[in-house]
Amino acid sequence: MTLLEAALALRRREVSSAELTESSLQHIAVLNPGLNAMLTVLEDDAREQAKAADEELAHGADRGPLHGIPIAVKDVFETRGVRTTCGSVIFLHHIPDRNAAVVERLAAAGAVLVGKTGMHELAYGITSNNPHFGTIRNPRDPEHIPGGSSGGSGAAVASEMVFMAMGSDTGGSIRIPASFCGTVGLKPTSGRVSRYGVMPLDFSLDHMGPLTRSVRDAAVTLQAIAGFDPRDDTSSQEPVPGYLPGPRCSIEGVRIGLPQNFYFERLDPDVNIAVRRMAASAESLGACILPVRVPDIEALNAVGRVILLAEASALMEKYIGNRDQFGSDVLALFDQGRLVPATDYINAQRLRRMMQREFAQLWSQVDCLFTPTTPMAAPRIGDKTVHLGELVEDVRLAATRLVRGINVLGLPALSIPCGRDSLGLPVGLQIIGRPFDEALILRVAAALEDATSQ
Amino acid sequence: MKKWKKIAEAYDLRIPESDLERIAPSLDALESAFRPLTKNIPDDVEPAITFRVVPENDE
Repeated sequence: MTLLEAALALRRREVSSAELTESSLQHIAVLNPGLNAMLTVLEDDAREQAKAADEELAHGADRGPLHGIPIAVKDVFETRGVRTTCGSVIFLHHIPDRNAAVVERLAAAGAVLVGKTGMHELAYGITSNNPHFGTIRNPRDPEHIPGGSSGGSGAAVASEMVFMAMGSDTGGSIRIPASFCGTVGLKPTSGRVSRYGVMPLDFSLDHMGPLTRSVRDAAVTLQAIAGFDPRDDTSSQEPVPGYLPGPRCSIEGVRIGLPQNFYFERLDPDVNIAVRRMAASAESLGACILPVRVPDIEALNAVGRVILLAEASALMEKYIGNRDQFGSDVLALFDQGRLVPATDYINAQRLRRMMQREFAQLWSQVDCLFTPTTPMAAPRIGDKTVHLGELVEDVRLAATRLVRGINVLGLPALSIPCGRDSLGLPVGLQIIGRPFDEALILRVAAALEDATSQ
Repeated sequence: MKKWKKIAEAYDLRIPESDLERIAPSLDALESAFRPLTKNIPDDVEPAITFRVVPENDE
């Protein structure tokens, strides 16, 4: 059942929020010992919220599609009175006295917060193999990683513990777990969703967005959380349009760019086939598939890495003296960041502006781009490298290769399931759009989802 | 390639030598990818960093 199906059932009185919430808590009780997706479960709070939602709905007070729906947020979102660890022992006892803007907006929309999801330590990695809180496992195959850093959110949604879980994405951390776990994952445009009250990894590259079971579920979630927030300096005053794609939405005439360079190089063949099959589906629905050449994404990724290394290390500098508090992979990244000169950081931010202008020219040719989300399906837990044809590549660099640059550009991007590899693991299609054109990428994705679910 | 150990010592970063050896290949790879890009930045390109001046009494 999707979030919107549950919302419909609630309004038809076929189910209550209390029943949905109880079912969610039962799922967590049964599945979480094996998957470790949830870090904190708010049983009593969730039951109280569900009861209140049922009472409101019974009295005709309808806050919209999220009203009464059990959801979770990554443990990077501050929650008043509820521990927020960011997956780190440094914040083991951090109990915020405020809610993140996203948490406020979800509460205003009537969502029932059943808990907080586990994550890669400090949101700085893609395995979600957390040395402090344990390994998070992929519900599609528990021997494989769920991706990260929002791995708990991906696992919680894929295993149907909750209908939606919020993630954060600095270099792919929503889209990678969406791809590996077979869910939808939306990284909105920079400035679209407030970062207020989210424990930062990188001021320039952090984005907040949902992981869901369907495209329309992501759309209604974005509707609830998007909009200007004066407490976030980067928050945009761009008007918020309607995001929910209509039933049987058309993509006739939509120009979809299929990159001829970079994005289809060094892929698992199963990923290549699955993504191209989705492009063919889009074409059969009336979209125009156009070959395009994209700017230098390797360069964009290098710029992104310099910015991330420098900003993340600056943020954590005061904690780095106590090296025992960090996992070895995260510590290695912080050490690298401390060795990035200030001149390189500034030049990376200048290159970012140049590349943004260069990339913007693409939008005169196409309305969106189709690429794989990740070059391969979920690696096994503990794998340090992946084999892509004759190439051996570091798992983290491979997983972020096709997604990191989009954070540098601040563009909206959506990952949707588009097939499976030879092991039966999910493969993700990434749809990249113009700034603030989430509505279009959601419509394209919904049309594909409708077509492939028939 | 840069001498990361000397740089770390100069900045008193106190990174153990074994850890430095572990990260050096990543830093070298990034250096190779990034350094050439900086050669062609026009002088008038400003960094993409936001700063908002807040009027007095508007905090």
